[in-house]
Amino acid sequence: MFKHLFKLIWNKKKQNFLLMTEMLVSFMVFFAVFTLMVYYYDNYKKPMGFKYQDVWVININNAYQTKNTDSLDLYYETLKKTIKALPQVKELSFVSGNTPFAQQINNGGLTFKGKHINGVNNFTAEDSYKDALQVEVLEGRWFNKQDAVTKYRSVIIDADLKEATFGKGQAVGKFLGDYDDKNKMKVVGVIQTIKRNGDYVKPGPGIYYRADTGSFRWLNKILIRVAPGADAAFEGKLYKTMAGYMKNSNIEIEHLSNKLKDTNYFAVIPMIILSIVSCFLIINVALGLFGVLWYNINKRKGEIGLRRAIGATGNSVSSQLVMESMILATLSLIIGSFFAIQFPLLSVFDLQAHIYIAGMLLSILFVYLLVLVCSLYPGRQAAAIYPAVALHEE
Amino acid sequence: MIRLQNIEKVYRTDTIETLALNSISLDVAKGEFLSIMGPSGCGKSTLLNIMGLLDAPSRGSIKIADKATENLNDKQLAQFRNKTLGFIFQSYHLINDLQVLDNVELPLLYRDTTAKERKMLATEALEKVGLANRVKHFPTQLSGGQRQRVAIARAIVGRPDIILADEPTGNLDSAMGNEIMDILINLNRNEGTTIVMVTHDENMAHKTHRLVRLFDGSQVQ
Repeated sequence: MFKHLFKLIWNKKKQNFLLMTEMLVSFMVFFAVFTLMVYYYDNYKKPMGFKYQDVWVININNAYQTKNTDSLDLYYETLKKTIKALPQVKELSFVSGNTPFAQQINNGGLTFKGKHINGVNNFTAEDSYKDALQVEVLEGRWFNKQDAVTKYRSVIIDADLKEATFGKGQAVGKFLGDYDDKNKMKVVGVIQTIKRNGDYVKPGPGIYYRADTGSFRWLNKILIRVAPGADAAFEGKLYKTMAGYMKNSNIEIEHLSNKLKDTNYFAVIPMIILSIVSCFLIINVALGLFGVLWYNINKRKGEIGLRRAIGATGNSVSSQLVMESMILATLSLIIGSFFAIQFPLLSVFDLQAHIYIAGMLLSILFVYLLVLVCSLYPGRQAAAIYPAVALHEE
Repeated sequence: MIRLQNIEKVYRTDTIETLALNSISLDVAKGEFLSIMGPSGCGKSTLLNIMGLLDAPSRGSIKIADKATENLNDKQLAQFRNKTLGFIFQSYHLINDLQVLDNVELPLLYRDTTAKERKMLATEALEKVGLANRVKHFPTQLSGGQRQRVAIARAIVGRPDIILADEPTGNLDSAMGNEIMDILINLNRNEGTTIVMVTHDENMAHKTHRLVRLFDGSQVQ
């Protein structure tokens, strides 16, 4: 029967072309939507890498200008002590501008054993960063004072960069950078990747450099961990304390939990837009399929009557129509899958292969489900046609 | 072979009730070639549809090959039609998107047969109607007479005991009509197939063993 139906469809390829095209286009759009959904879910289920609750970001502009590094160091050490003296402050750390959930990025390439890794985020942080963010250390340690006097510059990498460079092997004690490069860096620790772009967007690999005394010239953010329940009154007090110390400076305090919400919101907007488009497409395809199948039944009443006359049951007529739709869907999906599989093969958009594969499988399943649902009712209607009536109408 | 007893068929709409067949009783013997005649709208095709289990009577009973058909379910009816009955229609009812061979194979698709068996039986049936050289053609590439011969091949491919033909020569000129009639007569004579044929053509009807006339749903001869 399958061969017979395939022959019937093949001989009607011109009539079926538009329907197949519609299924193909739908598959490609569903593929995009499902791939994005899988990508978001894949990122969502990964750990955050730190505890963002009760962490505030203070943006400052460095109003204090001096060429003397010792004076600069003293100025900011005093500021740190002043802030830390406040009872609600648990820990604080000066950091580069690319704090979690910030728009600012600082990335570049890294060459490792001849392999170039793009989009590596460069972070600069103090020794207190680990406690301020409660970062999860997977291997080795976070920076300490020993790192100021090492032969090779100490760096800490995140799990993503470790996977890209050392794979599943140990990273601590190994070197990064080209072997010809005199500025080799020694890995002293591996931390869980911090989802700096929010819950849904991949953060990319990251490397952490230790802030030295000269870094205060350009480090313009402070991350502080406050006691749970620190309120607006404390925020006001913190602001006044800082403003009193840093005359003529602009000071802005933000909460990481609020910034995460904003970041997530902007990440899901394309998803929402695509989902709305897909909803319209689903309705469109469903109505199209339904209409075509309905039209087919009316156009093929003679054939349905004949099949009943020569031995087909109502159910076999119904399942024939459903199977025809499923075969058409299969042909469209074969063509669609050919295009879809190029995405992981050619590493388009730099997503992992399993995300594309999962997106493809979900789209295939969804198209089959849609076609099945849309063909069931017309199929049942066809089964209900009385053979004598169908043959007479022809 | 076929026994109809007090068959009545009433078509009802909201306002009108039409009596299409009125108390028809008819016996068709095994190997008989029976023709049914009558003016348009007298119930000939309705009677043939009821004999072919394509339509159910409002009252009365039908026995085919000694089997009562009233209580058969959809699946049993389908199997019965497939194995015992063969249909020939005035408008051929061929599927234009399938080649001649595939059209003839159709009834065998609803049986437990292999593709090889289907091809062999269909080719054999086409040889009987003289169309063995047209297997790869599509129905639209054939003349009316050739199409009807394909329809006959399809009706006989499953080797049914009974063939029900609804004005098989109605759309054909007299020469082609005679050719079709000859094929049916040969089938009846050589294979012993029981044939019931509805026709408007007196000449064709007189070539059969027996003639039944209907008028306004009742049997008059």
